[in-house]
Amino acid sequence: MEYVSPEGLRLDGRRFNEMRQIVAEIGVVSKADGSAVFEMGNTKVIAAVYGPREIQNKSQQLKHDRALVLCEYSMAQFSTGDRRRQKQDRRTTELSLVIRQTMEACILTELMPHSQIDIFLQVLQADGGTRSACINAATLALADAGIPMRDLAVSCSAGYLNSTPLLDLNYVEDSAGGADVTVGILPKTDKMDAKLPMETFETVFALASEGCKAIAERIREVLEENTKQLEYRRAA
Amino acid sequence: MVGISVGEQHFLKGGIAQDLRTDGRKRLTYRPISVETGVIPQANGSARVKIGGTDVIASVKAEIGRPSSLQPDKGKVSVFIDCSPTAEPTFGGRGGEELSSELALALQRCLLGGKSGAGAGINLSSLLIKEGKICWDLYIDGLVISSDGNLLDALGAAMKAALTNTAIPKVKVSAEVADDEQPEIDISDEEYQQFDTSSVPVIVTLTKVGAHYIVDATAEEESQMSSAVSISVNRVGHICGFTKRGGSGMDPSVILDMISVAKHMSETLMNKLDSEISAAEACEDDES
Repeated sequence: MEYVSPEGLRLDGRRFNEMRQIVAEIGVVSKADGSAVFEMGNTKVIAAVYGPREIQNKSQQLKHDRALVLCEYSMAQFSTGDRRRQKQDRRTTELSLVIRQTMEACILTELMPHSQIDIFLQVLQADGGTRSACINAATLALADAGIPMRDLAVSCSAGYLNSTPLLDLNYVEDSAGGADVTVGILPKTDKMDAKLPMETFETVFALASEGCKAIAERIREVLEENTKQLEYRRAA
Repeated sequence: MVGISVGEQHFLKGGIAQDLRTDGRKRLTYRPISVETGVIPQANGSARVKIGGTDVIASVKAEIGRPSSLQPDKGKVSVFIDCSPTAEPTFGGRGGEELSSELALALQRCLLGGKSGAGAGINLSSLLIKEGKICWDLYIDGLVISSDGNLLDALGAAMKAALTNTAIPKVKVSAEVADDEQPEIDISDEEYQQFDTSSVPVIVTLTKVGAHYIVDATAEEESQMSSAVSISVNRVGHICGFTKRGGSGMDPSVILDMISVAKHMSETLMNKLDSEISAAEACEDDES
């Protein structure tokens, strides 16, 4: 199957280095300490952060000098084309772990000993790149909750199909079986699914990093806008 | 679970006794309701309903299936509810399952009528494609995103809105085949069929706190309830379902009183909901 047309356009009309439309909104779950929706094209994720608060289950506390970060990822029944049957599968567990590790590296956990921070991610629509969307949503929600972080952790995927590096894969491109790299910038975590020669890896990696930077910019804009709104409301 | 102090509990209960609740509402006033339809593009129909701080999404997906042998002339509808941990940290892991199945069962009872399929909110025969062979299976999935009390009413409203939004492709059954063979079907890409949802009931939950009962309770108020009664009423004012939750018992006369109040409240809610749904549908049509 042809994923890139001779004119250099992809299946959904994007160019190789073009991202899908990003929509981000802060404060969607009123009861949570911090929350955000993050959309990348048709992929839509809600993140809610509860904490820092007292550790609920003492047996989970491994280190006494820093906060405990917990993360749970769940997909809505209607998020994919076919209805999903099982709730907890290995993919979900793995994703929770990846996101948890990324966020843990980014939060200044040593400032909040004896406390826990819960991050809940709910996928409403899945169209490729849920891993990246989740990390971006979690960052926004953490910022909304006012949790101290080293930097904004952002993530973006890139792949290699039809001998072209492609930014921000959608579901069709993702399931094409080519290599794909998800990069989380700041705490450098990356993950790969298929084999890729070293030289190509570098270009794909660079492309994903570029994508991350663009997303970080967008996230910063959203946060600044939100802060302005808050300031305005306080003045009024 | 909401933790509130003894002082707050007294304040809350005292307010309800004097017909002025902590958020300024009367005992029988709803919080603002907003409806948005078509929020999930992959589904055949979907809606998002917000009642105050409660936020739920319902989606309807249709799949080709086989009618059950007991009711060869009807399609099948099933209801699933998922309480997302984003709404409440205690819903994480398996924590939300108990509540989810309780809600799903209550909704099924309110919406789908008896075992025979009679009295269902939507006409189950309209889901049939070929008697005894092929029918549509409707899967209604509810997702609780943010919970601030009164989940059942919100989910009921979201389902009604999602069903109104649902469009199912028309199906042609090609040439007659022998009785024991599965006929071939042709699913249309252009023609869609919609449901008549005017007979889908709305659910009104009356929560008893102290000596009085209130409508549309918040999570704080629900934490102080002794029991709650959910009554589903359709447009003509008939009771379609009845569920009681909570530990303490109730006098039958109170229940009868509650039913008449719920019936009265349902008219207002139904009208409000219908206008919100048609506004949301019109808004969606404009965009597309």
